[in-house]
Amino acid sequence: MKRIPLAQASRTLRLQVLRHNPRDPASEPHLQTFEVEEADSMTLFIALTEIRERQDPSLQFDFVCRAGICGSCGMIINGRPGLACRTLTKDLPQDIVLAPLPAFELIGDLSVNTGKWMRGMSERLETWVHNQGFARLDIDSLEQPMEPALAEQIYELERCIECGCCVAACGTARMHEDFVGAVGLNQVTRFRLDPRDERSDAEFYQLVGTEAGVFGCMTLLGCEDLCPKELPLATQIAFLRRRMVAAG
Amino acid sequence: MTGQLDRGPARADLLQSLTGLLLVLFIWGHMMFESSILLGKDAMYWVTKMFEGEPLFGKPYPLLVSGVAAIIFSLIAVHAVLALRKFPGSLRQYRQFSAHMGAMRHADTTLWYVQVVTGFAMFFLASAHLLVVFLQPDNIGPYASSDRIWSGRFWILYALLLVAVHLHAGIGIYRLAMKWAPIPAAGSKAMRRRLRFAMWGIIVFFLGLGSASLVTYMTIGRDHADHVGERYIPSYRLNSHHAVPASE
Amino acid sequence: MQIIYTDVLVIGGGLAGQRAAIGAKRRGHDAIVLSLVPAKRSHSAAAQGGMQASLGNCLGGAGDNEDIHFADTVRGSDWGADQVVVRMFAHTAPKAIRELAAWGVPWNRVERGEREITVDGSRQTIAEPDAAHGLITSRNFGGTEKHRACYVSDGTGHAMLYTMSNQAIAAGIPVHERMEALALIHDSGRCHGAIVRNLMTGELLAYIARATCIATGGFGRIYRVSTNAVINEGMGAAIALETGVATLGNMEAIQFHPTGIFPAGILVTEGCRGDGGLLLDVNEHRFMPDYEPEKKELASRDVVSRRMEEHIAAGHGAKTRFGEHLWLDIRLLGADHINNKLREVKEICQYFLGIDPVRELIPVRPAQHYSMGGVRTDHRGESPQLRGLFAAGEAACWDMHGFNRLGGNSVAETVVAGMIVGDAMADFCDSVGGELSLSSALVNDFGRREQARLAAIASGGNESAFELTRLMQETMTAQVGIFRDRERLEQAVSTLQVLQLRSRDIGLRSNAPGANPELVTAYRLQRMLKLAQCVAYGALQRTESRGAHFRADYPRRDDLNWMRRTLARWPEAEAGLPTLEYEALDIMQMELPPGWRGYGARDYIEHPDTALRKQQVDEIVATVADADRHARQQALMPFRHLLPAHLRHHNQRLGDTS
Repeated sequence: MKRIPLAQASRTLRLQVLRHNPRDPASEPHLQTFEVEEADSMTLFIALTEIRERQDPSLQFDFVCRAGICGSCGMIINGRPGLACRTLTKDLPQDIVLAPLPAFELIGDLSVNTGKWMRGMSERLETWVHNQGFARLDIDSLEQPMEPALAEQIYELERCIECGCCVAACGTARMHEDFVGAVGLNQVTRFRLDPRDERSDAEFYQLVGTEAGVFGCMTLLGCEDLCPKELPLATQIAFLRRRMVAAG
Repeated sequence: MTGQLDRGPARADLLQSLTGLLLVLFIWGHMMFESSILLGKDAMYWVTKMFEGEPLFGKPYPLLVSGVAAIIFSLIAVHAVLALRKFPGSLRQYRQFSAHMGAMRHADTTLWYVQVVTGFAMFFLASAHLLVVFLQPDNIGPYASSDRIWSGRFWILYALLLVAVHLHAGIGIYRLAMKWAPIPAAGSKAMRRRLRFAMWGIIVFFLGLGSASLVTYMTIGRDHADHVGERYIPSYRLNSHHAVPASE
Repeated sequence: MQIIYTDVLVIGGGLAGQRAAIGAKRRGHDAIVLSLVPAKRSHSAAAQGGMQASLGNCLGGAGDNEDIHFADTVRGSDWGADQVVVRMFAHTAPKAIRELAAWGVPWNRVERGEREITVDGSRQTIAEPDAAHGLITSRNFGGTEKHRACYVSDGTGHAMLYTMSNQAIAAGIPVHERMEALALIHDSGRCHGAIVRNLMTGELLAYIARATCIATGGFGRIYRVSTNAVINEGMGAAIALETGVATLGNMEAIQFHPTGIFPAGILVTEGCRGDGGLLLDVNEHRFMPDYEPEKKELASRDVVSRRMEEHIAAGHGAKTRFGEHLWLDIRLLGADHINNKLREVKEICQYFLGIDPVRELIPVRPAQHYSMGGVRTDHRGESPQLRGLFAAGEAACWDMHGFNRLGGNSVAETVVAGMIVGDAMADFCDSVGGELSLSSALVNDFGRREQARLAAIASGGNESAFELTRLMQETMTAQVGIFRDRERLEQAVSTLQVLQLRSRDIGLRSNAPGANPELVTAYRLQRMLKLAQCVAYGALQRTESRGAHFRADYPRRDDLNWMRRTLARWPEAEAGLPTLEYEALDIMQMELPPGWRGYGARDYIEHPDTALRKQQVDEIVATVADADRHARQQALMPFRHLLPAHLRHHNQRLGDTS
């Protein structure tokens, strides 16, 4: 029944990949074209893996879950950031240009160091529940109740997978390297919403009440439009801006 | 929490938005009054006199107009200085942004660039306009303005300013809404679509209105080209006080 | 070679590894976590449906406790688990969930009042009591008596991993990302750390540690069709095996998840069936009740997967050009439920299948999912053969899953094991035996050895690492799958031996500086082949069917001969086969002697001790008839003394007075 696609006229895809290996002094950034026979339900994960196995084993890229859950495979696909693992080639033209996410340190070819950036962001914005009670936490007794709707609201913001697409899609972040990006601002709203986090708005202001924080955002909304998880980033940043102005 | 919060960034962000809002409201009002020419020279004359305070003081004080021009100029100055923080600060940043914009093909990102360009243009265009108004506040009226526009060739300045100011204001008011308004996350996508629609509606409306007024002034100016310097006498004055020349 | 010293080295940045590091750090020991990828990208994030812990807050979970969780888990394991460990686990799971709740995981909560649920294909209305409002709720999962899987929509693992990672960041625990351990440094039965390769630069480093913990997850990628992430290549288990000293337990116990989407093998959660979803065949007939009238779609995973393959073999699968599959139907759950509680499932269907599960059926077929086996440890998580080497989570054979793991017990294990092993490592560091005592010559020897292995690959022959990897994966999926028999297993063993020989002649087409992905594939393949051989050879030797290990030629569980855990060692690096030893499971020590699981096949070969122990259990229970359930349990099989002191207290539940 339904929808396993049957054979269709297959295309020969031309993948142009921006290649550069910073470890190799002889390497210069350049576009290299690979031709791949398109298959049914082919994703960029499948296409790139095939290129590495059959054509160029030195091609660097990052995939982990290949199911759109872990956020490893953010890259620029025909000019816009997206998750390569869940991008179906049938949704793309025959010519596909792939480049590494900008704004992050390049490891090689399509692989960038989002992990380092995100850890830095987490340390800077202290993206964890701050609670004086942790030292004497009672894990034997009933847990603190929480309103079911509130728990769902927190999860809504917690769905961020730190893929870096919002940073790459952000004109502000492209110009100002120290901007925390929608990923950082969203996480601050997530912890601000969480009653287990005891921090006050004044404390949050210390973290994001700067030009590199919420007041640096120019509302270009690339983050909102390109977030693979469709997080409500615009409303969250607007909310945080209002709260921080009130606190500041 | 130790230490004072640095309230600067919050205030700067708020002030930029507030000055922007005031300027937008001003320009919309300005357009309404200036387009009174579409209703006839008498209407425009009446509006002019009203702003010179005649209904209040019994006689016109053009200096009032200079005062308003000075206030608007200072609002623009504050707005511009604050906005300058967000402009690309170096050639490198500019290149980053323009490469980003070109690749992203993302409306809100491109619209910001439009604001940068129009904002930059208005630095000169609006300043020139305001300077004229400030220095010659008595030089406004159905004939005086038309002569300036046609015989003084100010139509070139005004045509450019018209486009710049309405793109800048329309996009700006949309961005202000996205930046500050408490839009519930659930309906945010639909709300944004409506706001975008409204933005284009407003831009088209004011460009249409402005163009029509400008053409009208140009037409009057052309017809009046042989009598440059002559001031308009409203028909109601012609009826009651014959041939009393009025200053405009 | 750069040498980095630390107290505790944790290899693997998933839930188990990070929790163990936090535990050691809290006790005042420096800990470093090595991770192949940024820690938040670990495969723990892919756990969707839930974490088992017997809180019993919601109506479906009412009356739940450690005893029932224990019994479900032991039955699920087909009596292959270490029952003491299962007890430690079931007891600590509620604490783990409450700790995570305090740390920030937004567990879904009980909502007071009426709500609609889907049970056995029809809608019912239930009413949750006021007292439970706001406490952590849970959903139904396969093989359990109660609704016990606590969840965060269907992003449970993601939410847990983010909270855990954030707490590790708060604790100042460094995570050295894109680092791969190539070998454990060890001598005379003591592990001293690892030789590590930087996956960005290609450099080798040595990490010297008093305690080393392997928490690298499973090795699903030895199979062609797996729900596992591409990084789940079992390198932690492999380097333990390559010590020649440490053993791997029950490697033949491989779980196949019933609902991998077809053909990509991406997982859709068991929560789909737990929440009321059904399995249908080509005629849209619900077939599970025909096979399993008791538990239907919610029998344990091994049973459901087998029934599905059986049904396909009987000609009831939907045919496509990629092969055959069955359907998962969650339409009956309604748009609201799917959009809120199964949104990852919805996204996966949307992006990978182009379908909307609210209106359409999901094509599914069992896919390799979990490895019950791993580095054999004692109840504290330490290798019995190699002191200072610990393991936690899927990488370990602790052994709480035996021959089949229940859904939701894996994320629970990661955190619980992390809590226990973290303390055990701290204890070890505090002990005399935990002192560092090694020569720099030893470190350099190990470093040179790994350097030489890499150089050998780089100057090697004509074989392609990618090609051999594919052959290994296809062999495993075709011949060491859900249905196994002697012929296929013998074939697999010999094919793997050939591949192992060929893998010595791998050559590289690329010698680009840096990580060199081709080199990575090559050296991992050599290690994966050894793991694959442990699975295939262990399966060949085990002439019975137990849990997920099903032998068509030995279809019955054989307690008489196989109440034993397989231990694999690889003492000779160049050998073609592992050395297998067996460790007896003593029925006379069991709290729950072997019996029928309550689903699946009813006939099995009984061990004479079973009847004896049952009688003994009855007698013991009779002597403590007046005591509460804790005392009764204590009399049967004491375990609390084995837990760290701070984890020994009773768990409070709704309605308890204390």
